[in-house]
Amino acid sequence: MDRKPTNSGPMSSLGRSSLSALQPIDTSPFKRPSGLLFIWVSVLLVWLISLLPWRLWQPAPDLLLLVLAFWCLHEPQRITMLTAFFFGLLMDVHDGGLLGEQALTYTLVAYGAVVLRRRLLRFNAVIQALHLLPVFVLAEAATRVMHAWLAGEWADWDWLWSALFTVALWPLAEILLHLPQRRLDETDAGSA
Amino acid sequence: MQETGTIRLFKRGPTAELRLFVFVLLALTLLVVDARWTVLDPARQAISVVLYPFQRIMLAPRDLVEHIDNWTDAAALARSEKEALQRQRIELAQISTHAAQLATENVQLRRLLNVADTVTQPSVAVEVLYEPPNAFSHHLVFNKGSASGIRPGMPVIDEGGVVGQIVRVTPFTSEAALLTDDKVSIPVQVLRNGLRLIAFGGNVSGKVEVRYLTANVDLVPGDTLVTSGIGGLFPAGLSVAQVDRVERDAATGFALAVATPLSHPERHRHFLVLRVDVSTPEHTQEALLHGSQANE
Repeated sequence: MDRKPTNSGPMSSLGRSSLSALQPIDTSPFKRPSGLLFIWVSVLLVWLISLLPWRLWQPAPDLLLLVLAFWCLHEPQRITMLTAFFFGLLMDVHDGGLLGEQALTYTLVAYGAVVLRRRLLRFNAVIQALHLLPVFVLAEAATRVMHAWLAGEWADWDWLWSALFTVALWPLAEILLHLPQRRLDETDAGSA
Repeated sequence: MQETGTIRLFKRGPTAELRLFVFVLLALTLLVVDARWTVLDPARQAISVVLYPFQRIMLAPRDLVEHIDNWTDAAALARSEKEALQRQRIELAQISTHAAQLATENVQLRRLLNVADTVTQPSVAVEVLYEPPNAFSHHLVFNKGSASGIRPGMPVIDEGGVVGQIVRVTPFTSEAALLTDDKVSIPVQVLRNGLRLIAFGGNVSGKVEVRYLTANVDLVPGDTLVTSGIGGLFPAGLSVAQVDRVERDAATGFALAVATPLSHPERHRHFLVLRVDVSTPEHTQEALLHGSQANE
C-alpha cells in the first residue's frame, strides 16, 4: 500500500540507529493537521480567484469546489458542509443564477468527501481523484436537473468537462495544499 | 478501528447524513423559492453588497492595466479619433441642414396636430463590471445600482441602439439582460412601413426573432426594427435590429424573422441606462426574471 511521506523520517535514518529503524504499524494517527490559518487563506484565495472572469469559459474547472472538497476530506472538523454551502451561496449571487444552485452542488460534493473519507485516505491522490469523479459529476448533475425542472432550460454538456478538469487537478491540489506539512516533515527528518 | 470511528462520529454531534439532509433541503427550498417568487431578493442584495468590495478588488488589476494601456495609447487614439470625427463632421453638416429643415417642419406639423412634445429621457452612464459566468443567460453586471436611481425594467442603450433591459438591481450593481437573452421581449416597429411587432431574444445565439408573423407579412431582409414606444418602457425610435431573413413555414402558416441586433454589447464597456418611469418595480422584476411564465 502506498505509505504517506510522514514515515520517511525513520526510514532515512535507518543506518544510524537501530531504534529509529522501528516503525509504527499504522502511521495514519500521526498525520499532521494542516494549520487553521493556511486552510482558510487557501479557501479565501481560491474564492477571490473565482470572482475573476476566467470562469466564463464553461468547461473551466471549479477551483473553489476542488479546494473545499480537499479540505472536507483532510480536515473535516475545520471545513464542513456548512462552509461549502455558504461559499456555494456566495458564488450563486456572484454568477446571478438561482440562489442555492451551487450551494447544492458544493454541499453534495462535501458530503461525498466526508462519506468516502475512511476509504479515500488510504489511497494516493490519483486513486482519490478517480473515486471523486462520480461524486463531482453526480453533484453537478443534481443541480442541472433541478435547474432544468425549475427554469425549463438545459445547458450544454460542458459541465461534464468542468467536472473532469476539476478532478484532474486533484493531485496538484494534494501537492500544493500539503506543501507546508511536507516541509515540516522534511525539517523533522533533517533534525532526527 | 471501525468502533473508534463510530464513537468519534457521535461526539461530533449530528451525523453527516443529517447535515446533508438539512443543507440539501435548505438549498432546494432556496432554489424553488428563488425560481418562483422574489422574496429572497433582500437576502441576495445583502450578499451582493458584501461581495461588491471583493469583486472590485479582484478586478482592480484589470482596470489598472486598461487605464495604463489607454494612457499610453492616448496620442495615437486622439489622432485616429480626430480623423474619424472630421470625416463625420463633413457628413453631418449635410444631414444637419436637412435635419434643421425637417425639425422646423415637424414643429409646425405638431402644432397643427396638437401633439405634445417628446420629452428627452434622463439617463445614467454605466460601465460593465463583469459578465456573470452563467450558462443559461446573456447578462451583464454594471457598476451602478439603485443608489444611482437604476430600477429593474429600465432600458440600456449604446450608440447602436437598444442593448437590453435591467432585470435585477442591488445598491451598487445592476444586472441587465441583453436583447439576445430569451427572456427579453421588446415592442418594435418596422422603420420602412411602421408595422408594429414584438421582438424576442432568439434561439440562435446573438440574434433576435420576430415570431408568429402572418405569411403575407410585409417584412424583407434589410428592414430596420426600431422601438415603437408601446408598453411605456422603451422610448420610441431607438434602433433595435436589422432583419437578416424571413422564414415562411408552410406547415404552421406563420412566418418567422431573424434579425441581428444593431447594438454591440460585446465591444464596449460603457452604456447608458435610460431612467424611464418604472411604475411597479416588484411586478416588473418578477416578470423580467422569470420570463413570460410569470405573467400568465
